[in-house]
Amino acid sequence: MGDHEKHRIMMVSDFFYPNVGGVENHVYYLSQCLLKLGHKVVVVTHAYGNRSGVRYMTGGLKVYYIPWRPFFNQSTFPTLIGMLPIIRTILIRERITLVHGHQTFSTLSHHALLNSRIMGYKVVFTDHSLNGFGDVGSIHMNKVLQFTLADVSQAICVSHTSKENTVLRSGLSAEKVFVIPNAVDTEMFKPAFEPPSRSSEIVIVVISRLVYRKGADLLVEVIPELCRLCPNVRFVIGGDGPKRVLLEEMREHNSLQDRVEMLGAVPHAQVRSVLISGHIFLNSSLTEAFCIAILEAASCGLLTVSTRVGGVPEVLPDDMIVLAEPNPADMVRAIQKAITMLPKIDPQVMHNRMKELYNWHDVARRTEIVYARALKCPHQDLLEHLSRHLSCGAWAGKLFCFVMIMSFLLWHLLELWQPADDIEEVPDLIFQTSMMERRGLKKEKKMTDDGEFGTSFF
Amino acid sequence: MVKFSISKGRYTYTHDQKYPCENVDIHHIILKSCRANYVFVYTLAVLLLASALYLCILGGKSISIVYYSMLFDIFLVKLLLPKPVKKESVVIMPAFGVQLETHYMSGKIIRCFVPIDKILKPVLVECVTPVTCYWTLSLMIRGESEMVLVFKNLRPPVKMLVHVWKALCAATDIKEEALNTCTTYN
Repeated sequence: MGDHEKHRIMMVSDFFYPNVGGVENHVYYLSQCLLKLGHKVVVVTHAYGNRSGVRYMTGGLKVYYIPWRPFFNQSTFPTLIGMLPIIRTILIRERITLVHGHQTFSTLSHHALLNSRIMGYKVVFTDHSLNGFGDVGSIHMNKVLQFTLADVSQAICVSHTSKENTVLRSGLSAEKVFVIPNAVDTEMFKPAFEPPSRSSEIVIVVISRLVYRKGADLLVEVIPELCRLCPNVRFVIGGDGPKRVLLEEMREHNSLQDRVEMLGAVPHAQVRSVLISGHIFLNSSLTEAFCIAILEAASCGLLTVSTRVGGVPEVLPDDMIVLAEPNPADMVRAIQKAITMLPKIDPQVMHNRMKELYNWHDVARRTEIVYARALKCPHQDLLEHLSRHLSCGAWAGKLFCFVMIMSFLLWHLLELWQPADDIEEVPDLIFQTSMMERRGLKKEKKMTDDGEFGTSFF
Repeated sequence: MVKFSISKGRYTYTHDQKYPCENVDIHHIILKSCRANYVFVYTLAVLLLASALYLCILGGKSISIVYYSMLFDIFLVKLLLPKPVKKESVVIMPAFGVQLETHYMSGKIIRCFVPIDKILKPVLVECVTPVTCYWTLSLMIRGESEMVLVFKNLRPPVKMLVHVWKALCAATDIKEEALNTCTTYN
């Protein structure tokens, strides 16, 4: 099942290259696979330092780095309607048919979805994280999410746990939420040609940001206990963060300098080389919507030990992962069980299974189905938008309606001041395909609707 | 002698040959002045001054409110009505250089000459600001980190910029086929 209609998609997120992370990789890989399926994809993000303006990435992926500076945690300053002019300009000049926002914490994404809805575009939102309900930050963020998702066309979550969390936080109807898990680039994460020997020592690899959410405090208790129980175990810890100091203190206090190696921050390009030096991958996160890190580890042929939190139990089959409760005693038990399972693990077989289980092209095809469903949603006028927002709360509903009305008025003012006909549409640039695909095929120059100029600009 | 001309909105592009030498290529972008802007801004300024005078004379406020409103009016006029540009021209003299001219309504002309051997490449660039996105034509200069804008004050449509770009490419001896890195094969 799939729709052969080609879409023109605008991916919006504060989190994109040159930042490296789960959301960034998801947007990049999904965009590349959608380009290969014949769709047009444009990414909109904020400027990173001097990286401002239009850039092109592999495969002709066009990225707009809008010069709005981030103000907190790589998110742009929330202005509610301040982004409307630039978002409108990009939507018209790229002839966008659908807007896809990513991540709850991305204010740019919320702005784009809000402004696009008011202009009549269909929007899709992907939530990548789990969030709480009790603390002040979560309460406010959930209210913002409720605002954004009140009239979104469709939503995507990366696991069933994440779907439950998003539906509860935002009040969105469960029928509108699709579950499409993340994937892993198995070509990049391959096992070592000669896997490390298991006879002399067992190497346990940890690669994560050393912060509270990622369970760095658990590691501080698990590592000395396991080193005491298993004399042939060695740890390799990659990553940096505020909890690094605690781990180094633990290492000094227990004299584990020769058994615990701290690598510091590991660039993404070198993650594979660190993973293939180990036998077991340890993930101690306290909360995870999905956890791409364990996919990368499994793709490299490592047996995974992880805390049973969030969406982690949905990610790998039982023979590839050992789950534990997020407390030191159960984690030590799980690691000991994993050590006994090691002789049965063949890294290459595990890698081949991962290639079949997780695939970005599959994610793109499933996302295509969501896009087709979103485009079939009926068009809504301003009054229908307002009625949905009014139900968000006694005071919040009225505030949201006020913001929507201001957006609507600003949109019409812009239509008078700079009509859509004055904004020139950008011709599509088509990039060279690989040499293998070129051989034996005839050359074709694509022309735009206006035949005055071709595709060669530079 | 006008060889070619296109108009869109307030911008008109003409390609003419003023000089007897056929090698010299001249491209103009002419901007039609918008009287509505002037009427709106000056009306606003007059209303502001009138309000200040009313408050001063009949409302009993201090005369300083009139001075502040006059200062604000001057600031408003400077901000909303920048120096009016009548047209911008590009005179291409192959094997010699490119002259960029800005003609103002007052008759003043500012010229800038770029020698042909200093031009690395003319490029069409998309510029992104916090509120909009538009095309510009720029010259990459050898040994300089900053590009030179061909049209410094006007933002003509890209359909007009492409003609000037092609002429600049021909003059700087860059073949279009060599630039065409964007073809695909079917």
